[in-house]
Amino acid sequence: MNGRTDGIMDSLRDDLKGFFKPRMLFTAMGLAGALWLGSGVYMVGPSEQGVVRRFGKEYALTGSGLRYHLPWPIESRDVVDVARVRRVEIGFQTEMGRVKVIEAEALMLTGDENIVSCQLFVQYVIKDPAAFVFRARDPEQVLRTAAEVALRSAAGRNTIDFTMTDGRFQVQEQIKEQLQRLLDAYQTGLLVTEARLLEVDPPQAVQDAFHDVVRAWEDRERLLQEARGFTEDIVPRSRGEAAEMVLKAEAYKEQRVIRAQGEAKRFLEVAAAYAASPVVTRERLYLEVMERILPNAEKIVLPSQSAGSVLPWLPLRALQAPAAASTSPQVKGVTP
Amino acid sequence: MNWKLINALASAGFLAVAVAMQAVYVIDEREQAIITMFGQPLRTVREPGLYLKLPLIHTLQRFDKRVLSSDAQAIEYLTLDKKRVVVDHISRWRIVDPLEFYRTARTEAGAFVRLDDIITGRLREEIAKYPFIDFVREKREAIVAAVTKDAQGLTIEQFGIELIDVRIKRLDLPREVQQSVFARMQAERQRIAKKYRAEGEERAREVRAGASKEAQIIVAKAYEQTQALMGGGDAQATAIYAEAYEKNPELYSFLRRLETYERSLAKDTTIVLDAGSELLKYFERLGPIK
Repeated sequence: MNGRTDGIMDSLRDDLKGFFKPRMLFTAMGLAGALWLGSGVYMVGPSEQGVVRRFGKEYALTGSGLRYHLPWPIESRDVVDVARVRRVEIGFQTEMGRVKVIEAEALMLTGDENIVSCQLFVQYVIKDPAAFVFRARDPEQVLRTAAEVALRSAAGRNTIDFTMTDGRFQVQEQIKEQLQRLLDAYQTGLLVTEARLLEVDPPQAVQDAFHDVVRAWEDRERLLQEARGFTEDIVPRSRGEAAEMVLKAEAYKEQRVIRAQGEAKRFLEVAAAYAASPVVTRERLYLEVMERILPNAEKIVLPSQSAGSVLPWLPLRALQAPAAASTSPQVKGVTP
Repeated sequence: MNWKLINALASAGFLAVAVAMQAVYVIDEREQAIITMFGQPLRTVREPGLYLKLPLIHTLQRFDKRVLSSDAQAIEYLTLDKKRVVVDHISRWRIVDPLEFYRTARTEAGAFVRLDDIITGRLREEIAKYPFIDFVREKREAIVAAVTKDAQGLTIEQFGIELIDVRIKRLDLPREVQQSVFARMQAERQRIAKKYRAEGEERAREVRAGASKEAQIIVAKAYEQTQALMGGGDAQATAIYAEAYEKNPELYSFLRRLETYERSLAKDTTIVLDAGSELLKYFERLGPIK
């Protein structure tokens, strides 16, 4: 009995031993299998797209959500953010909000053999995730060099003044257009949304001369404005002067006429009165005048016999005022 | 016996997997491959997918299928007008015949060196055909197009490379020349500044002179008008006087003379009067009453 029991126990132990080990193994294998199968679960965000390959070949594009693909090595995936706007800076670098110019990248030749310093800012998105992942090696580096190519050939096509002032927008368009063409040719799957020239400056060494041109231009405008100011000052003033002269002349004319009319009237009045009694009036007028003249004048009365010759009486002056220095025969205009 | 069986099965399975791993291979979208047998190229695989080969005997060699780029060192070239320029070109290419590529270039680095040799040589010839300013301004595209076109045939034949394009990334003047360009730019700007200032002076003077002219003309015209007005007034006054005095010229003559006497003989005058004159006729004696 005992021996049998022992025998049973032994065989049981053996059985257990034999059972235990494979059980562990199977559990481990099951777990590994589950993990392997689970590795095919992936998330595609709202702005992302998944690119799935089956045995290396492009198989499917997947939209956002929780997705599953068969585990490696059967299928594999790449998830690409297609909505995020990426940016690249040419000729400068923004480091913690500060802009640092990179001379080697920024300086370039213009179409009139000048050198200009440009800073270009490019924004782009991934328009074709499959091409982005599969067709070109390091598409973003490709974009960087292509942007430099486009910027430099656009600067070379145009003059420095055109690029710096009026033509900036046009040059920008040329850059964007050429850049997109290159990106398409290289199958990068990228789309340029914006290419903007931030700064287009003359190089440091000649900046003062360029600023002086701006100042000179301002000077020109200032001189012109001053001259216009002079015009606006002098012309109205002389118009005023002219108006004054004309009005004065008109006043002169009017007053001359009115006075003449007055005097004529007076004369006619007198003439009318005179006509009534000419002899007496004539006499009266004459004597009135004499009365007004004679009180103020020196008078010498000669006897009537001497009429016709004053000569015997000269020099009258000496006779009258011996103290006077002058002995001239003049009788008028000498102060006694 | 159980153990042995498990061991044997496990070993066989392991071996099978190992052989399968050797026999099965995956070619990705981004790559292509050639199969060699004892170093001898056998075939090319260009499409992505799952493939079989003989394990151990067939060897797999993978190559990139994507667009690759190489950025060469900047070198000096000479233009038609003997100006030195520093050009930095980049080329984009793709391996289209991996077998040929493997035979001649072996690696990307090797291909790059040979490619650069070809392109640099062609660039030197093309750049020497144009004067410097044309190169800068409008011949860039033409030059790179010509270089690309010529090199394309060579690269595909010799290395199994499809050259997509060659682009000139940087085109600069040598450092020593830059300084003289700056000096010239400065002189040019100074010229423009002088021109602006002189133009300002020119136009300002013109405007001022124009204003003075206008002002003088305005005043002169007013003077003309003034004279005409005054003359008119004088004439009218004269006519009025004449009309009135014409009525009695003798009286006018008499009154006007009296007025003249009064005005001009009033002061500082010595008047010699003859006692026999009309005024004093009663001075010496009383005359008879007529």
